[in-house]
Amino acid sequence: MIKVDNVYKRFGVKTVLNGVSLDVRSGETLVIIGSSGVGKSILLKNIIGLVKPDSGFIKVDGVDITNCSLRELHETRRKIGYVFQESALFDSLNIFENVAFGLKNLTSLSESEIKQRAKQCLAMVGLENVEHLNPSGLSGGMKKRVGLARAIAYQPEYILYDEPTTGLDPIMSDVINDLIINLKKYLHVTSIVVTHDMNSAYKIADRIMMLYGGNIIFNGTPEEVCNTKNEYVKQFVRGSSQ
Amino acid sequence: MMMKASVRKIVKFERFAQKVSNTSFGIVFASIEGFGTAAEMAKETIRDIFKGFISAKDTVTQMVEVGWSSLPIILLTSFFMGMVLALQVGSATSNMFNEPVYVGTITSFAMAIELGPVLTAIVVTGRVGAAITAEIGTMEVTEQLDALYTLGTNPIRYLAVPRFLACFFMLPALTVISNIVGIYGGMILSTNTWELSSSAFWAEALDFMTICTFLHGFIKSFFFALIIVIVACHKGFNAKGGAEGVGKATTSSVMTSMVFILIADYFLTALRVTLRIK
Repeated sequence: MIKVDNVYKRFGVKTVLNGVSLDVRSGETLVIIGSSGVGKSILLKNIIGLVKPDSGFIKVDGVDITNCSLRELHETRRKIGYVFQESALFDSLNIFENVAFGLKNLTSLSESEIKQRAKQCLAMVGLENVEHLNPSGLSGGMKKRVGLARAIAYQPEYILYDEPTTGLDPIMSDVINDLIINLKKYLHVTSIVVTHDMNSAYKIADRIMMLYGGNIIFNGTPEEVCNTKNEYVKQFVRGSSQ
Repeated sequence: MMMKASVRKIVKFERFAQKVSNTSFGIVFASIEGFGTAAEMAKETIRDIFKGFISAKDTVTQMVEVGWSSLPIILLTSFFMGMVLALQVGSATSNMFNEPVYVGTITSFAMAIELGPVLTAIVVTGRVGAAITAEIGTMEVTEQLDALYTLGTNPIRYLAVPRFLACFFMLPALTVISNIVGIYGGMILSTNTWELSSSAFWAEALDFMTICTFLHGFIKSFFFALIIVIVACHKGFNAKGGAEGVGKATTSSVMTSMVFILIADYFLTALRVTLRIK
């Protein structure tokens, strides 16, 4: 279980997170929506310990990652996969080495098992025979899928997705949506998904939260989002400029 | 209410800090802060080396990149530097004494104690230091360093340690090669232009030199290697602001390394002179 309690984060004079609190229950998929620059990605980076909040605490399975030893932070990160917005693939490694990177560092699998698992994960995101290519030889959408394969390869309990379907064509977006659903269904993976894509949000979410002005202004099921009286949420999900 | 008051205080303090940072004091504070973070990074790198967190494969790859790939440019620059030195010394002494004297002595002294180590360090700064900063800086701005953390890898251990070891061992090796090639270049010029026999050149060169003369330049190259790799990694890890930020970090890395190499060179030479090491 992930618990975020009263987290504040400021950059210079700009307050990005203004006392955010949320719980993510085991096995659920929480989708966080909100306009660009509202702090969704920063919230995810706080949860995995890449950014330290100014105040408040974040607990992952009871470990307060804002105030724990490096070893505890390392152990906690083993449980979390992270899909980066811009893929963040390692330029100096080929696709196979990228996907196998976490497996080599975080698991005790043999070389042949790592090879097999990496191939499996690439196949799950619809990529085959690309293992030998370099990231520079892939399209943006393909890089995104390799990033996803890398995050799921070591079978983490939690996966944090930062805009997983942005830049993908509608069919591939749906493949990724199905993958997120299947990871939850068969492996009971708990997911936090940051997205603007409302079709994706409705399909994969157990709960949808909206971040606005550094706070959570809405928390409910996809059905509740459709029937909300909150004007800003209604405007956002309709994609209306007024 | 309490929280809002404290946030207001912090904002007020940050605005004050912003104003201070735009003054000369701010530049001095930023430089001191830079020293601190670079020292912290160097400490962590050296601690990881002593704890044995060394990837042999990555270290050898970096050694090839720093040493073998820099060799052609070092050979070329050192050879011509030796020839220029011999030409200048021969010309100057011919004007003064009507014949070229001390060409071998001055060329070999200058190469071994100053030009070999400094020239090699400057060339390696431009070739390797810039590449290290650009590579790590690009990884920083494209979130690859964050990705390393999420995949259970410490970026300092993965990136800084192999580069640190490669620079620390390859720069002195390149310096030795630079000294030999530079002196050899001086000898070739002296035999062709000043009609000095090669045995006379070597006699002049070796008569006044001791092992300490070579060691002085050799030892300096270890300090230069530390400066190059610490500055390059530190600037890379702290790059911000996309492609423009990486460009600025790379320029700053090269300029900072060059300045510190020359400052360190002065103090190391002053130390040698003070201690009267011949």
